[in-house]
Amino acid sequence: MKASLTRRTLITTTAAAGVLALSACGGNVAGGSAESGEAFPSGPITLTVGQDAGGSTDRIARAIADGMAEDLGIAVPVVNKAGANGALATKEVAAMEPDGQNLILLNASLITITSLTVPEGEAVTLDDLDVIKGLSQDDYVLVASKESGFETLADIQESSDPLNFGTTGVGTGSQLAQAVLFAQAEIDGTAVPFDSGSPALTAVMGDQVAVSTIQLGEALPQIEAGTVTPIVTFAKERNEFLPDTPTAIEEGYEVPVSQYRALAAPKGLSEDAKARLVESVEATQATESYQEFNQENILAPWEVTGEEVVEEWNALAEQYKALIEEYDISLSGE
Amino acid sequence: MDFFNPVLNGFGVVLDPQNLLYCLMGVVIGMLIGVLPGLGPAATIAILLPLTYGIDPVTAIIMLAGIFYGAQYGGTITSVLLRLPGEASSVVTVFDGYVLAKQGKAGTALGIAAIGSFIGGTVAIIGLTFLAPLVASFALDFGPPEYTALALVGILLVATISGGTKIKALIAAAVGLLLATVGRDVFTGAERFTFSNLSLADGIDFVPIAMGLFGIGEILYNLEERHRAVSAPAKVANVWPSRADLRKSSGAIGRGSVLGFFLGILPGGGATISSMVSYAVEKKRAKDPSRFGKGAVEGVAGPETANNAAATSSFIPLLTLGIPANATMAIIFGALLIHGITPGPQLISEDPELFWGVVNSMYIGNILLLILSIPLVGLFVKILRVRAAILAPITALITILGAYTIRNSMFDVLLVVLFGALGYLMKKFGFEPGPLVLAFVLGELLESNLRRSLLVLEGDVSGFLTRPISATLLVIFVLVAVGPMIKSALARRQRDTTRVSADS
Repeated sequence: MKASLTRRTLITTTAAAGVLALSACGGNVAGGSAESGEAFPSGPITLTVGQDAGGSTDRIARAIADGMAEDLGIAVPVVNKAGANGALATKEVAAMEPDGQNLILLNASLITITSLTVPEGEAVTLDDLDVIKGLSQDDYVLVASKESGFETLADIQESSDPLNFGTTGVGTGSQLAQAVLFAQAEIDGTAVPFDSGSPALTAVMGDQVAVSTIQLGEALPQIEAGTVTPIVTFAKERNEFLPDTPTAIEEGYEVPVSQYRALAAPKGLSEDAKARLVESVEATQATESYQEFNQENILAPWEVTGEEVVEEWNALAEQYKALIEEYDISLSGE
Repeated sequence: MDFFNPVLNGFGVVLDPQNLLYCLMGVVIGMLIGVLPGLGPAATIAILLPLTYGIDPVTAIIMLAGIFYGAQYGGTITSVLLRLPGEASSVVTVFDGYVLAKQGKAGTALGIAAIGSFIGGTVAIIGLTFLAPLVASFALDFGPPEYTALALVGILLVATISGGTKIKALIAAAVGLLLATVGRDVFTGAERFTFSNLSLADGIDFVPIAMGLFGIGEILYNLEERHRAVSAPAKVANVWPSRADLRKSSGAIGRGSVLGFFLGILPGGGATISSMVSYAVEKKRAKDPSRFGKGAVEGVAGPETANNAAATSSFIPLLTLGIPANATMAIIFGALLIHGITPGPQLISEDPELFWGVVNSMYIGNILLLILSIPLVGLFVKILRVRAAILAPITALITILGAYTIRNSMFDVLLVVLFGALGYLMKKFGFEPGPLVLAFVLGELLESNLRRSLLVLEGDVSGFLTRPISATLLVIFVLVAVGPMIKSALARRQRDTTRVSADS
């Protein structure tokens, strides 16, 4: 604790003097020496994130990179390469040398949902990647504005007014979850896409749209403040942070949509390198600071093996495809 | 008294030496990154976030907030000296700021910008102190139809504020609107002008366009000019604005403060529109509008005041409603959550020390920035004494580096070069890059909100007129559009009557 405190002070001082130099290397300075002599890792491991700095995906990447740097004794810089919902970064990393020195943080929605809305050649599959480990699960919650008066799904069904629902964009879990739920519940609604979670939530708060589906971490402060009303969550089980809100599945609808994150590398990783990477991720997940990070960010641990990630995501992709075909849903507008 | 106690306690928090130190660190870091286009406050704060884990939440947020408003000061410097607007909200500063610098009055421009920023920032903090809960709901009342109307007003102003010929400004603006459509359609996922290139899927970023058109375009043009005529290096005279400059700008600063405060509350685009509106208002009010674009001090004072006031008031929705108004606020929101504090309606009552600590730190931070600016203005204007042969490559390097850092992409560097070539050609043929860049920014706002409005209103356009705010904005739109015609008609009639009376 003392050592890490000194390190922190040191970094803070360096930050004042040379913020630019620090930002160039991702602000991730590894402490400690260690396992030299081993073939892997041969140098810093770069963790690429397909989203902008500061969002929840980016924060997860930085938390995991911190822990891995500590465990591996090397620097693990995080590099943000936003574009096409993460497809740009994922394709770039997938094409790299499979030496374990380059990793990518994956969002499940890119594989399971976005692929349903983009042309064939642009869809990202897990075929070119070696998934190392599952990280965490982020639930979606359907929230209603105060003015709408909705408190349960039944209220929405009974309302005769046309329903406008906000989504966080095309090809997102927010869009899919609502489209499938409203189709199954025979609610006639118009999807209004926003750029991301924050404007979609703001629109519900101002009653510009009656309901919206947002990631729980983003919506929870407003739910607790009572400015929006939670209707249902979309995970398989009730969320521990929102125990009084039923899941859509409990209400009788088959809508298992969550955001999952996992760590992956280009396909063709050597057994040794993969084992070492898995070990360091598991070591990170065991630390108290990482577990606290999950708690603070309303993330449920989803620490399954790489093989399970592939199996589950591919199954979800199939399931979503079948659902939108069954209910004749078009994710790219009518 | 009940109201003032927590406010005064807040000052107690700020004057704690540690907090003062972090406030100073924040504004200095902010100013430095503001100078580098591309490396914005959002990315910097994200990177520095882990360093704040070990310190008090109040201290951490004071520093992060300082980075944000410090960056607004820094951004002015490159706009004025090098014609590099790092953010959409400082594009209009270039119009007169860079001309002033070329006339050897860089110090005047930077000085007036610093004073305006200080006043604008301070007025907005006072507003934040007394009006925050009252005006916060303003942000919620702004739905898609209101943003549509606001963007329409903004696009109309683009034509008004540019120098040069109207028709060329309109052509440039049309190109800007076209560029805004590039990317995957956010409503249907359809590809538009992406040529199957994933790098274009999210559209083009503001920075490569602005850096290319303004920065590289100017450098190329100057290189050509130097071959024709040997121009003397810019004289750097009067480092500080004169009393006359201050008097001329005082009205602009006052109006800019109020405009910036209110428009800054709006999430998305508020700061940019406030600087444009301020410039347009000053140009309209001026006795001789033709001075604008040729080095009018008010043209720097107004927009710079407005964008700083807007930056400060963008804290209102975050601290009182828990809605982040821009990317930087989103990260500060995340930082608060990490520190176990939930920004939202209960923040003032549950955590008054944090709320007032952060708000009051901004008074101090603004004073620190003003004090820092005074000696720095003298230092920065010396940049202009550097020979073009040395300055040009350095500017090009900063430009390209800035574009690269946005998303670590070589593609964006290529874009800067392409837009640089376009900027050179535009300058050569008398087109201004300003209208293009501003229309590009507003085009995105207009298109997505118009389509969103039509979805929300179920295709019923009369909805725009039944909503009070959008109706008001549309009336303003009509007035601004038709106003000049009426004015010239009136002027003609007056001329006629005076002639008649002279005859009799």
